[in-house]
Amino acid sequence: MRQLVSWAGSACVGFARACVVVVVAMLVPAVWAAAVAVWIWWWDGDPWSGIAPLVWAAIGTLALSRPLCRMVRSLVERWTGTVIPAGYREAGPVIQLSTGYWWNGFSYERTSRDALLDQKWRTRWRDPAVWRDLRFTAIAPVTMGVVAAIPLGGVVAAALGFSQPDLSARLVGVLGLVVAIAGAPYAWRSVEPVAVRFLRASTAMALADRVNELTAQRADTTVAQAAEIRRIERNLHDGAQARLVALGLSLATVEKLMETHPDQARALLRDARAGAATSLTELRDLVRGINPPVLTERGLIDAVRALALNSPLEAAVSTDVQLRLDPPIESAVYFGVAELMTNAVKHAHATRARISITRDDTDIVVDVEDDGRGGAGVRDGGGLAGLRRRLAVFDGTLEITSPAGGPTRVRMVVPCASL
Amino acid sequence: MRIVVAEDLYLLRDGMVRLIEAYGHEVVATATTGPETLEALLTWRPDVSIVDVRMPPTQSDEGLRAVLAARGEVPGLPVLILSQHVEQLYARELLADGAGGIGYFLKESVFDADQFIDALERVAAGGTAMDPAVIAKLLSSGSSNRRLGRLTEREHSVLGLMAEGMSNQAIGRRLFLSESAISKYTTSMFGKLGIADDDDNNRRVLAVLTYLNRP
Repeated sequence: MRQLVSWAGSACVGFARACVVVVVAMLVPAVWAAAVAVWIWWWDGDPWSGIAPLVWAAIGTLALSRPLCRMVRSLVERWTGTVIPAGYREAGPVIQLSTGYWWNGFSYERTSRDALLDQKWRTRWRDPAVWRDLRFTAIAPVTMGVVAAIPLGGVVAAALGFSQPDLSARLVGVLGLVVAIAGAPYAWRSVEPVAVRFLRASTAMALADRVNELTAQRADTTVAQAAEIRRIERNLHDGAQARLVALGLSLATVEKLMETHPDQARALLRDARAGAATSLTELRDLVRGINPPVLTERGLIDAVRALALNSPLEAAVSTDVQLRLDPPIESAVYFGVAELMTNAVKHAHATRARISITRDDTDIVVDVEDDGRGGAGVRDGGGLAGLRRRLAVFDGTLEITSPAGGPTRVRMVVPCASL
Repeated sequence: MRIVVAEDLYLLRDGMVRLIEAYGHEVVATATTGPETLEALLTWRPDVSIVDVRMPPTQSDEGLRAVLAARGEVPGLPVLILSQHVEQLYARELLADGAGGIGYFLKESVFDADQFIDALERVAAGGTAMDPAVIAKLLSSGSSNRRLGRLTEREHSVLGLMAEGMSNQAIGRRLFLSESAISKYTTSMFGKLGIADDDDNNRRVLAVLTYLNRP
């Protein structure tokens, strides 16, 4: 009984969805049918006299294709959960130049309004997605439109059949009813494969997106690298280098004072030794910031263990793997964990942390969880945004859940082929 | 003492040998790679050896692994590890067998030659000597913070110096206190932490390090 009810429910829902699909798919053919009807209406022997409605239909098709495809995409996502990326080309920024003119990536315009308008049309026109959408509006009626129309056709046949008194017509009516009821839960489903096949981004579009993404990442990496090199240079310049100069000065003075003032010389030597020790400490900290020695010596897992031991948190590291990854990936993940632990101490005021490192077929998955007060989020220019960008270089991702009041859970996933 | 020096950088190796010989000890062999170190340790069985962590051929933790392997064969073989950086992780691995005769220092600890040779002699006698940097990290780690919260500030510093491997007498000298005052602190400290006090200094230091290293 319950089964029957649920089946009836799905049949009703399916019928409604099939109707929606038919309406959406047949919108453009309806426009054309209307245009052709008007053309025939105005027919006076000259085929060119009634061309205007057809031109309007063509313009209507162009205008309708994008909203139509948007609607199909959102319907598919709502009904089946399948997300079809739209892949429309994004317009670049419009900037005012020092001459007062506006540059939109294609041309110079006198006002920002002109520039935006020009950019809108050029982006539209050059976007391969436009042609894909047009193709889809042509294909949709004869594929999903036809299939989704089956239950509707069945109902129409039933209505017509039952309105006639003779037997054969009633038979057709019964047949139509059966087709309508049996087809209702399934007919609308044709929308998904059709949309996935014809509405997804083409290879060229996907590649263009990827190129944009990589260009942005490359710019990020270059900037980060330059900043890092500047930091190292400044550190060496103000730290070790300066101290070595001071050391040399002290030793030169000692040489001079050795005979005449041995006590002063001895004091200077003690200072020199202390200076050498300090510069070694500075160099060690610098090296640790560039590439922690334990990472080179033992790899990611032991380096994270060492990190946990040094942390003021009570940190437990659990892992089921022993792995050596490519050094750049190891370094990125290591510094990621280090940053998360620092955040846990500094911002979340946590006392405990759990780090787990696991791997599945293609990815290395690192979870960091603390018992702090939560409320962390990815903000533009913030530490987590930077971390996300650094992981993105390796196609890695960062997910964070941090409700106010805690706990904070962060998951880093980095694909790695070298497992 | 008969000493083996394992260090791949010529300048450091040479300087170390000269320093040791200046103090009247004998360097019986030097090694420059991990495998050479292991061989030298096992053939010479030196009174104590000085080993660098990072060495050829892989430039990873060759020296450390050679030491662990050698101590697997000869339990308690006294070794002093010198490194550009100190890690609690490595300290744990070195102390794990509980046999003593282990020293772990930053390379710049040789700047204070007297203290360095003193530590070397302690290790040769089967004692433990840890760089203050190792102990500082050990005492400030998360689990230590929780467990050592009950100690007074003075007890805390006594514990730190003890973990470095110092005797009561040496701790007293460092803190300008009498030896009996120090032993009073250690008794109350051990009572609070629940560690069995031991008359033997080496065993006591090991007990402290084991306590601090407990996860």
